[in-house]
Amino acid sequence: MTNELIDRLTSDLKPIPLRALEKRIWLALAIGLFATILVGPLVLDLLVGRPFGGAWGNSMFWSKLAYTMGLGSLGLIAVPALSRPDQSRIWPLLLASALAVLALIVGTLGWMQSDWAMPVLMGGTAMVCPWLIIVTSAPLLAVLLSVMRRFAPSSPTMAGLAAGLLSGGFGAATYAFYCGETSMMFMATWYSLGVALTALMGAIIGRYLLRW
Amino acid sequence: MQADATEKRMRELMLAALDGDAAAYRRLLAELTRYLRPWFARRLSPSHASHAEDLVQETLLALHTKRSTYDRSRPFTAWLHAVAHHKFVDHVRRHAIRPTVQLDDDAPIFAFDDSAHAADRRDVDAVLTEVPERTADLIRQTRIEGASIAEAAARHGMSETAAKVSIHRGLKSLMNRFAGGSK
Repeated sequence: MTNELIDRLTSDLKPIPLRALEKRIWLALAIGLFATILVGPLVLDLLVGRPFGGAWGNSMFWSKLAYTMGLGSLGLIAVPALSRPDQSRIWPLLLASALAVLALIVGTLGWMQSDWAMPVLMGGTAMVCPWLIIVTSAPLLAVLLSVMRRFAPSSPTMAGLAAGLLSGGFGAATYAFYCGETSMMFMATWYSLGVALTALMGAIIGRYLLRW
Repeated sequence: MQADATEKRMRELMLAALDGDAAAYRRLLAELTRYLRPWFARRLSPSHASHAEDLVQETLLALHTKRSTYDRSRPFTAWLHAVAHHKFVDHVRRHAIRPTVQLDDDAPIFAFDDSAHAADRRDVDAVLTEVPERTADLIRQTRIEGASIAEAAARHGMSETAAKVSIHRGLKSLMNRFAGGSK
């Protein structure tokens, strides 16, 4: 019986290109990012009524972009290793948490200077911000997880978490183009929450979808 | 050193297989089967021993479908070990089996293979043809299979003393023949 299986597998052998896993991740990232960028004009602008470039020209826009891209890049560093059975790379996830804590500290200091004024924390969109970040990230997360089904993560949950961090980071970066908020505390709280929820979603879906 | 040689050979086969060499792939799968079967059998209780073959097949199938996750710059045996371990844990969970692995028996996959024992057995068989058949059987029973001298003697219908003498003479003549004489 095992011999039959060996026959079958041998006749099904196709060459695997070098760095095949990384190439698949990059392809998924390109397709998913394209879909996520489309959410901008189609959902955020037309449906929610957010014009492109709400915080354009404000230095805070660049901070938001750097923060979210940083989180997404840390996810991207973690995904390949966590997609293999014999490796695990947790430090990018820990570093992402540390980055969020740092943003919260800086944000709190700014909030303190403005005498704990509520609008600094809540802005005008605090209640929708995390949800819109999840919506913006969802296409990227979907493409990424469906590609990762072909991988063999030692821990499907951790692999899903990393994919969620990647998607949440880059999704939030896309969202930043349609967001008019200009407070550090706002970003540190609500952007972080949006990315964290996306990562959590990735972990929960990954736990079931990435099993092998 | 043994493990390094295994790693080197297996990794070369895997790299060739990843480039599409079907003959190397077949050799790799056949060789892995010989290592995986006893490894799984050792960690299943005797009542679940029949699962070992399923696990071997599941592992080979996983190796096939997940082979793109093998990083060519890393040890192959470690990757394969991770795949086999994952399949074992998954199987045990799905079938609600309690694994019964002695801690001191938790050897890596590539520590034992079926054929090495077979080769040892063939050597013993070859050596024992040098002494009379009855003596050979007495030596086999007492020295290899672990029977007591009294049991072995009873099976051949001889006295214990005669069996002792026979075994002693047989071993002595083998010693002269193969080990350059007893010291």
